[in-house]
Amino acid sequence: MKEFEPKIVYFLCDWCGTGGCETASAHHLYYPENVLISRVHCTGSLSAVHILRSLIEGADGVVISGCHPGDCHFETGNYRARRRVAVVKSILETLELGPERVWFRYVAHGEGRRFVDTAAEFNDHLKKLGPNPLKLRRDT
Amino acid sequence: MKGAVIQAKAGIADGILNFLKEALDKGFFDALLLPVRVPAGDSFSYILMRDTSLLDGAFPLPPVMPVQGARALSSLTRYGKGTNRIAVLMRPCEIRAAIELHKLDQVDLENIFLLSVDCPGVLPLGDYIKDPRKGDALYEKVLQEWIIRSPRWACDICDKFSMPHSDAHFGILGAPESSLFVIPGTTKGKDFLESLDIEYHTSVKSWETKVQELTEEISKKREQTLQALSRDTRGPERLLGIFSKCINCHNCMRVCPICYCRQCYFDSDALKLTPDNYLMRAQKKGALRFMPDTLLFQLGRMSHMGLSCVSCGTCEDACPMAIPVSRIFTLVADSMQEVFDYVAGRNPQDPLPQIVYKEEELKEVEKAYIETYNK
Ligand code: SF4
Ligand code: SF4
Ligand code: SF4
Repeated sequence: MKEFEPKIVYFLCDWCGTGGCETASAHHLYYPENVLISRVHCTGSLSAVHILRSLIEGADGVVISGCHPGDCHFETGNYRARRRVAVVKSILETLELGPERVWFRYVAHGEGRRFVDTAAEFNDHLKKLGPNPLKLRRDT
Repeated sequence: MKGAVIQAKAGIADGILNFLKEALDKGFFDALLLPVRVPAGDSFSYILMRDTSLLDGAFPLPPVMPVQGARALSSLTRYGKGTNRIAVLMRPCEIRAAIELHKLDQVDLENIFLLSVDCPGVLPLGDYIKDPRKGDALYEKVLQEWIIRSPRWACDICDKFSMPHSDAHFGILGAPESSLFVIPGTTKGKDFLESLDIEYHTSVKSWETKVQELTEEISKKREQTLQALSRDTRGPERLLGIFSKCINCHNCMRVCPICYCRQCYFDSDALKLTPDNYLMRAQKKGALRFMPDTLLFQLGRMSHMGLSCVSCGTCEDACPMAIPVSRIFTLVADSMQEVFDYVAGRNPQDPLPQIVYKEEELKEVEKAYIETYNK
């Protein structure tokens, strides 16, 4: 049987997140091909609805990376993003819809290694979890 | 706590209305916003009035809550405060929603005087309108005996049924025979009682004790009820089973006091897509339900307003498909608010969790990095 390949949506902010991804490519570091990168201006501008919609419409997991604390280009966007991720997780946890399918981890501009590690680790994590039951539901 | 004792010989409603009439006559307020029975007799609505003769038809505690008071108040003050002083009498959950809307800049409280009252709950709206007379009789009993709490789910487990952060509160529980307590909650409230020459230094211990006893009892019930509800709601299978009846009318959003957006995201063009998009999604899922985005609307709405949900049950009253909307929202809102140690409507000074942050917090949300994971 073909091994389950998770579909991953990786939200990166335009600054450190994307920078980390660029550093990775400059160093020829690879991340799994099933990771779909989606750029947002700042993690603070990412709506909870984008995360929920990804999970309902086909993603097995969503991971979000932006600047480390103190480094946000809009000063507080990453702190706000952390609160928003906490909100999404509390919904998913209370209703048992898979809070473990949402990850939040800071990645700095120079941290290409950390970026590919996160993609690979999340990929393995989701392989263990199996397909996201929500994405398969027709009655959403 | 201290308060005043006022006469209520001909019943609670009468006591409250006479008191308000006097305040209006003495010019402390310029107008009142109160629930009044509609002319056809089968429902109630908030009426803005100056004429004290209209007070005769007013109901401080109507048997149902067709329009959440905070919603009425936000229509009134959407463009900021007026020059008139308006007193609004609402139930505790309506006041709590008004406080949330105030933080969201949708209600201006400056010239508003918030009056609250101990609340025994309301009847489910759908039951009431089927037979208003029967509802009136039943509610009469609820008001007299108090202990018979209303069978409406949100009210049955409401442990915040007494004094919210209002300017003055009418305490019914534990009040001496044929009278009521008026308890000032703010300096505005104290000024008000002083201007009416009412002495407000009487102990309201009997009210406090009763409220505390009942709060403890209901809190326990709330916890048990939510635990049981959680068992029946968890997981995609159960949750989608509950929402499968949803017809996407979005009534629940339209009546919710907290959903103030003039254009709801879930009604917007952002979710209206081309046939090819729907077909692609149908292919991935095997088929696609129409109307689409039912679950996204429910979970998305929770993510937008859950931190301010006051568990008032208005959404459930308005659902034509009898979906237990407010139960699911309450379940999620309670745990969401707990994450931020926030209680919607508790205190106007508590900042909205979505607009503030702490540098050191929510470490459990961050995924710890394993150095060079894939070597
Ligand atoms: S979601 Fe329902 S229970 Fe919560 S505030 Fe809105 S109407 Fe009230
Ligand atoms: S669901 Fe969201 S966008 Fe829609 S009215 Fe409520 S808060 Fe506004
Ligand atoms: S009111 Fe009921 S049927 Fe209408 S959208 Fe809300 S949950 Fe669905």
